[in-house]
Parts: sequence; structure tokens; C-alpha cells
Amino acid sequence: MVGRRWWTPWLWLAPALALLGVFLVYPVVDTLRRSFLDERSKNFVGFDNYQFIIDNPQPLVSDTHSALLNNVMWLTLFTAITVALGLTLAVLTGRVRYEAVAKSAIFIPMAVSFVAASVIWRFMYEFNTDIGTVNATVTSLGGESTAWLQNTGAPQTWLTERGPDTLPQPIQINNFALIMVGVWMWTGFAMVVLSAGLKGISTEVLEAARVDGANEWQIFRRIIVPILSPTIVVVATTLVIQGLKKFDLVWVMTGGRFKTDVVATLFYKEAFRIGDFGVGAALAVVLLLWVLPVMVISIRRFQFQEETR
Amino acid sequence: MFHSKRSWLLLILFAMAAFALLAFVACEEEEEEAEIGTVDVLGIWGDEELVSFNAMVDPWELDTGGSMAFTGTRDITTVLTTRVEGGNPPDVAIPAEVGRFQQFAGEGRLTPLSACEGLEKTVRDNYPEGFIDLGTVDGTLYGFFMKADTKGTIWYNPGFFADNGYEPLTAASTWDDLIALSDEILADGTPPWSVGVESGEASGWPGTDWIQQILLNEAGGAVYDGVIDGSIPFTDSQVKDAWEKFGEIALTEGYTVQGGAEGINATNFVDSTYPPFESPPEAALVYLGGFASGFITDQFSDAVAGEDFDFFPFPGGGVTGGANIVYAFNDDATTCSFLNYLASAEGQRVWVDRGGFTSVNSQVSLDSYPDPISRAQAEQLTSAEVFRFDLDDAIGGALQLAFFDGVTQYLANPDDLDDLLTNIEAARE
Repeated sequence: MVGRRWWTPWLWLAPALALLGVFLVYPVVDTLRRSFLDERSKNFVGFDNYQFIIDNPQPLVSDTHSALLNNVMWLTLFTAITVALGLTLAVLTGRVRYEAVAKSAIFIPMAVSFVAASVIWRFMYEFNTDIGTVNATVTSLGGESTAWLQNTGAPQTWLTERGPDTLPQPIQINNFALIMVGVWMWTGFAMVVLSAGLKGISTEVLEAARVDGANEWQIFRRIIVPILSPTIVVVATTLVIQGLKKFDLVWVMTGGRFKTDVVATLFYKEAFRIGDFGVGAALAVVLLLWVLPVMVISIRRFQFQEETR
Repeated sequence: MFHSKRSWLLLILFAMAAFALLAFVACEEEEEEAEIGTVDVLGIWGDEELVSFNAMVDPWELDTGGSMAFTGTRDITTVLTTRVEGGNPPDVAIPAEVGRFQQFAGEGRLTPLSACEGLEKTVRDNYPEGFIDLGTVDGTLYGFFMKADTKGTIWYNPGFFADNGYEPLTAASTWDDLIALSDEILADGTPPWSVGVESGEASGWPGTDWIQQILLNEAGGAVYDGVIDGSIPFTDSQVKDAWEKFGEIALTEGYTVQGGAEGINATNFVDSTYPPFESPPEAALVYLGGFASGFITDQFSDAVAGEDFDFFPFPGGGVTGGANIVYAFNDDATTCSFLNYLASAEGQRVWVDRGGFTSVNSQVSLDSYPDPISRAQAEQLTSAEVFRFDLDDAIGGALQLAFFDGVTQYLANPDDLDDLLTNIEAARE
């Protein structure tokens, strides 16, 4: 081996580092800086912008509390429903003869652009029953037309006469309707990845369980799910990050109005619509801090898997 | 190894040469067009409106040899803020909202109209005083208005009115007359109103039009101006009264074909203009600005202005309206020539002829309008007893968004009006 100069690896890394620096490190540092400056990024204001997020002094224009809460809803509901549906469909489609067709049908939404899908679902949820498929179905079953994207009420009002308006209603009808569109788009992804994992489980294990007298539910619960758990974690991590950074779907369908704002739409609105770069940057930092642990966990996990390989 | 190194060197040399050549060509091009070049314009128009705007600009391009690069976006505030913040503003901006205009002017980012020869005189001589005041920041005139829209128009179906013996109201009518007419129509079995406030991110603005129009007529111009400059807060009882009068229309049982708050919040403002003109009519009246005539003729292509659809003035005599403001970020020869053309009566007549354009330039005579409805709109704008610029567009910024959101929340939850008005006022900067 001919003597290599110390800077040779850096030379090869330089283009990648330069790109990362310009498009990743610089924006992050600048966002951090701006989050401590006033709305025109001129004077230092300390933690005022973060105080704004905590105090929520303008609940009409930028409801920070509702945005944070909605993000929690996206995080939990979107991830849980998508993983559960994806897993169920992976198991079920693996057992039918027309598996390829079924899987393709479920996977297709993934191939639709987010904006296009959002526009389609705006029509699906349309209040006018001549246009809105969902409301046409509801009314033909004897129900009443619901403003799916505007109604901020809680779904439990369907069951009781009228829900308690003053109590916090984390699950709003319209937020739930938006999350279901996200689920529609991502279930295919979860199903395909989980299905691949499922195919990796050797039939001997399943045969052995059957010989031991386990029924299908027990096999699913005690054999398949534990073996699949690393794959489930990977899928769930991807979905959690998707849920946290959700923007396009909300922006196209409601513009963040009717209390459907999430952190990503709110910081866009604060910075570029209202022109308050301070609060906008602070919200972006909050989102960054929120995503960070998820990233760390998934990177750790990746390293761990590499080591044990 | 040697070989590949040399080819790299060659490649780099070649690339550098190409860049140098490109820069040289670019420089040369710039020098050639120093007189009248390309003007970079950021506006809100698309579709039909853009076709008409291009037609309006064509004569300028032919005369001067210049050209216009137009970017149209409904999200203009966002794009404009980003470009100004990034140090890359357009030459000319034509938005509908003046809040951001005042901010830019205050920060010294705009070019006074006096920097362009003859422009300030044209505007001061031919434009109504109210619009000149709106374009003035700290005593300097920075912008002028083109393409105005009256918002004092209540649309109805003349055939339906004649069949049932209803009388269109006049400017001299009162709010009580409007309620009496609504009750009469309701008693005959038709929902009197069609109301829809859905408009994506800006949902609620049609409701703010209602409230500003009621406020101007019931409380007067002084109160209206006070709400804009902040001397009268949204929590004032006269403002609250205007909200409640809007609620009287929107929330009275049976008054709207949308069936109340949920339907109003979920109905797009464009769709809300259709019901009175269906056969049979599903509602009798719809209140929306002059631009609604465009929605109606798009949907009902054989509808004749004045026969199948018409408007009567919002009772009370006062008229609110919106307009696009034109302002510039530099005083290049190209920019100045373009602004002078846009402000001129010759330029505006082109679009007036094509329809869908109301001019506030007094040199554009009423005879220029192609049909009775657009003429009546122009007349209403120029001869109104009291005229005020659109309330939320005059405020702009966060307070405007709070006003929008206030409308949708008020409809969903009318009992919390006091809290709501306090929260709207909290958004004032």
C-alpha cells in the first residue's frame, strides 16, 4: 500500500459535507438563531418566542396548543391505526389466492402524490351530497350530512345527544378525518414491508406451533408478532416521523383552519403568512426537538442490528 | 492515471471557459436592453383574469418593446414576504391586501410614485381621495389601485322576484327592510339566503364582508375607520352588534339553504352563489362582492345579466369594496414605464372592455363598460355616499387571519362571541 495523505478521505467527503452544510447545518443553525430574535429577526428577545408557544396568546390566528395536541394525535392515532391495519392486511392477503391483486390495490394510494390525494379527499368529504361520496353514503344510510373537514366537534357526539363542549376534545371529527386520509395513503407501505417480514418466518416454526395445538390467533399473537417486532419497529418509526412532519395533507385540505393546524403548518403560517420569523423559527425548533429522539432511537437500533449481523 | 488527470484538467478548463462566455453574453444582453427591458410582476391572477391582464399589457409591450414576466399566485403574501426577505423582490407587486404594503413602505423598501415621472400626478388627478389616502404611508404616496370590486351587492333572481311579487331593495332601505324581505320569502317556503364561507386557508372572509358592510351602514364611517386604526377595538358594542346582525342572517332557523352553521362553514363561497339561479331557485338572495357575477355566468353559461341575475345595493347607502394595489420595489425606466401604463385610463380601458374589471380612474367613463351590471357596479363604486376599503384587507397580517377565524368559530359557537372578539383584538399588532 502506497502512503496515503491524511486529507485524502476528506477530499472525497468534501462535496457531501458541503451539501450537508449548506442545506442542513446552516438552516438548522439559522433557525435556532432566529428563534431567539424578534419577528423581523433584528433584536434579541430571549425565550419570548418559546413563551408565546406556551402561553398561546393568540388562539385564533395561531393556536399553538391545538397544533401541539393535533401533532400528538397524528403521532399516536396515525401510527397505531396504520401499523394495525398494515399488519392485519399483510397476514390476510398472504392467505388468499389473488394476493398480488389485493396488495396492489392497497398499495396504489402510496403512488399518488400527496397533494393530488388531498384534493381527491376534499371532494370525498364534500358537504354537498351531490359531490361528497362519504356524505352521500352517510345520508343514504339515514344519517345526516357532516362537515368532515370543518366540524371541530368530538366524534362522541354521534353517540350521545351532544358532547360536553367545554371539556377538551382531543379527537375532533375533522382532525380524525384528516388522519384517516394519511392512513389510507400509508397502509400500503406498512403492509408491503410487514408482508416481506412475514414471508421470512420459516414455516417450520409455524408448523411446530400448530402441532403443539396452537390456534391461528395464538400463532399470530405469540409467534408472528414477536418475530416481526423489529420490522414493526422500523415501520412504526417511519410512520412516527411522517406523522410529526405532516404538512402537505393538512395544508391542502383545510389550510390548518378549523383547529386542524399541526406544528409544521403553523410555523409555515407564522413565518411566511404572518411574517413573524421568531415564533415560526421557535415552532420549527420545537418540531426538531420532537423528531430528534425518534431519530436517535432508530439510528441506535440500526447500529445495533449492524453489529449483531 | 496521468491520462485521467489531464482529462479532468481539460474538463475544468472547458467549464470555466463556458462560464466566462455565458457571463459575457449575459452582460452584453443587459447592455443592449438598458432602455425598456423585462418587468418582473408578482400578482394574484390566473385563468380568465390573467388572459385579460395579458391583453391589457400587450399594447405596452408593442409600444415600448418591453416585456412582462408575470407570476400569479393566490398565496401572494407568502411568496412576496419570502422574496423580499431573501433580497429578491419583484419589480412590481399587485396584491389585494394593503397590510403588508404598509409594512414594506414603513421599512423603506418601496419606491415612492414620485420617483417615476408623471406617475404621481396621474394618480392624484384621476383617482378618488380615499384610494390615494390608502396608498399613502407617512405622507408619501407609494401605491395606486386598479381593478376594484364593490362589495355592496346583494344578488337575486329577477324572474323569481317578479313571479312572487318581491321588490328589490334600494340604497335607501334599512336593515329591518332586509329582515322583513327575508321573512316574507321564508313564509312563502323558500330559504331567503345562500351563505358559504369556506375558502381553504382563508375560510371565513365572506363573513367578514358581511360584518364590514353592516358595520359601515349601521355604525358609520368614523367607527369603521376606528376599527382599522385601532382606536375602536373589536370588543366595542357597535362592532359586536354588526356580528350579531350577521348572525341573524346566518343562524336564524330556516334562513339559509345551507341549513345553518355547519353547512355555511362547509360551503365554498363560489358554490354559494349558485342556489338562487337554479331552476327552481333553492334560495332567493346571496350577498357577495361584484366578482360574483363571474361565478354565476361561469356556472350558468346562458344566464343574461340583468334578466336572469341582477343585484340590488346593500341597504344603508354605504359601500365597501376591495381593490388590487400596485406598488414597485425600484424605479428602473422599465418599471416606471410599466406603472405609468397600468395607472393610465388607456391601459385600463382594455380590460374594462373585456369585462370583469371596475376601474377607479375617473378618466374611464361609465360608457366603457360592456353590460348594465358592470356599469351599475362601477357607478356604485364611484358615486357611493360613503365608500370604505375592505376592512380585513385594510388591516392585513395576523389581525386579518384572526378576523377570518373568528367568523368560522362564531358560526360554530355563537354563544362565545365576547371571548371571540377579545381574542380577535389580541391579534392586533
